[in-house]
Amino acid sequence: MDFTFAPEHIALRRLVREFAENEMAPLAMEIDREGRVPFETLRKMAKIGLLGVCFPQKYGGMGAGETGYCILMEELGRVCTSTATNVGAHIGIGAMSIYLDGTEEQKQKYLMPLARGEKLGAFVLTEADAGSDAAAIRTRAVRDGNEWVLNGTKTFNTNGSFADVVTVMAVTDPTLGARGGMTAFIVEAGTPGFKVGTHENKMGIRGSSTAELIFEDVRVPHENVLGKVGEGFISFMKTLDMGRLTLGAACLGGAQAALETSVHWAKTRKQFGVALAHKQSVQWMIADMATEVEALRSLVYRVAWLVDTGQPFTQLAAMCKMYGSEVASRAIDVALQIHGGLGYSRDFPIERNFRDARISEIFEGTNEIQRIVIASNIFRQHGVRIRP
Amino acid sequence: MRIVVILGQVLDPSGIVIKRRAGRIFVNREEYVLQPADRCALEAALRIKNAALAGLRPSQGVEVVALPRGPLPDDDVLRQALATGADRAVYLTGEGFDGADDAAMARVLAVAVERLGGADLVITGATTFDTGQGQLGPRLAETLGWPQIVGAWQVEAADGRVRVVRQEGSGYVVVNADLPVVITVLPGALKPRYPDGARLINVYRAEDAVEKWDVSDLVSDLVDEAALQPLLEKRGQDFPPERERGVRLSGTPEEMAQALADTLRQRLGRRPATARER
Repeated sequence: MDFTFAPEHIALRRLVREFAENEMAPLAMEIDREGRVPFETLRKMAKIGLLGVCFPQKYGGMGAGETGYCILMEELGRVCTSTATNVGAHIGIGAMSIYLDGTEEQKQKYLMPLARGEKLGAFVLTEADAGSDAAAIRTRAVRDGNEWVLNGTKTFNTNGSFADVVTVMAVTDPTLGARGGMTAFIVEAGTPGFKVGTHENKMGIRGSSTAELIFEDVRVPHENVLGKVGEGFISFMKTLDMGRLTLGAACLGGAQAALETSVHWAKTRKQFGVALAHKQSVQWMIADMATEVEALRSLVYRVAWLVDTGQPFTQLAAMCKMYGSEVASRAIDVALQIHGGLGYSRDFPIERNFRDARISEIFEGTNEIQRIVIASNIFRQHGVRIRP
Repeated sequence: MRIVVILGQVLDPSGIVIKRRAGRIFVNREEYVLQPADRCALEAALRIKNAALAGLRPSQGVEVVALPRGPLPDDDVLRQALATGADRAVYLTGEGFDGADDAAMARVLAVAVERLGGADLVITGATTFDTGQGQLGPRLAETLGWPQIVGAWQVEAADGRVRVVRQEGSGYVVVNADLPVVITVLPGALKPRYPDGARLINVYRAEDAVEKWDVSDLVSDLVDEAALQPLLEKRGQDFPPERERGVRLSGTPEEMAQALADTLRQRLGRRPATARER
């Protein structure tokens, strides 16, 4: 058993940390206040290859694998959750779905520019009546000769408002449901009938864009079917497994930042004549926080290793997302308590981190859904198939 | 055109804690980063390379070669240089080389430059971040018998000449020189670029990305045995004297301005302000 990072991953972390601290930290508060996507940061990331971190170099990526991707997300999450969200939606689910299930032609045509960051991606699944119950989607795709015609409305699409390439799930056979009746498609922005609807006015991650997408008789060539017709649901679940792991990594960064800032504050803030660090109540908070952060770190990088070595990881990815989001929320909540009134002030980052962290318990499958995934995997191993 | 950049490493400042009262530096995380001034030197070299690539004279290729500024525990900074855009990097190792100071290094590097087949330009940092050493560049220029320009803010090279903007007093001067020349660059002079991600992964994965030369080979070839004897003797370390604490002024803006003016007058040995001046 060897827990050391490879030299290239140590070097990558140094690069990303420097980038995040120099380029992202100064903008984090501003993009939250203004509610704007930091495209300038995304362009700078593209220039040094960060937007294709995990994809092979033959597809325009960096070739750092899933471990490298988790390092990227941890370091981005440590500094700016909004930017981490933009990047996660682009790489982890948008481009990832094409990498996992695309044909060689689709990878050349779509993954290559996405990995190079010349184009931005998004992953389009959720609908108004199909949130946790993703299999209840109603967006229809009907075959017409060598084309498919898409109709429906998708909600809560991260990056959807500006993505150049989106992967969309639609019902192709209503009689079959999730297994056999759903298909994933690659749709380019600008295709007639493909429109951006309303934008969400969110509590946190305000430097990311979440929009409604409307498909009105959108004609997509048959060659843009992602994976096989009827296997879209399985394909999307595979992508989401990856997204859950890296969301856990971003949460690790957020929790780590909360720990660092708490330790710093406990060292400098004096009450009753001594630094908070000498108060047992604060020591216990820090000790608990640090323990959870370390447990999460071990989990995240162990799962990254499973992915990189081609082993099954679905159940553990759900744990990464669920545990990661809860550890981050708890750590930031405790950090706020340690900082007292200053933590509650909008002039300090903890208030923003507190709002930003909350979404991780909801998106990429709520934590309740993650618990179902974990439990159903456990029971399946014991011969019990959980009923929905 | 061949540009040699000379790079060193320094403990990552975010991994250390300085305790003045204990008179010690505590190392929490022993990680090293490229010396900030050397990083600017690398940037200066890469900008010259980019300017040449941009097509002024495409036939005039620029090769950037990275060499270490002293005995290094590993080749990490040289790999960083390759990831950032250097074409070649040579790690120097060997017995009796551990204690080499700037005087010894100047001799070793002069031989190394010769072994590379010569160079047109040598660029390095003007000063080290930890020990404040600024001798390597000038000593190397002397050993090579080349002219030197120290403390550069900007470096351009074309057509066998360099144009350097350097700080002098409170202003700047432009110095032109024929190649070859040794230039030292100030820390903070240029905003260094980030390494390219894919290049970084490849360079750190390839074990043989950095060439390895034995210093004893270089030395026995071309200079005498005593060349590696350091001139520098380290007797200990001390903190610079503590800075005087300031005074916090309070009151209305007028009162504070008056108090400040009075303090300045007193410090400068001037007479107090008269009522009329007030």
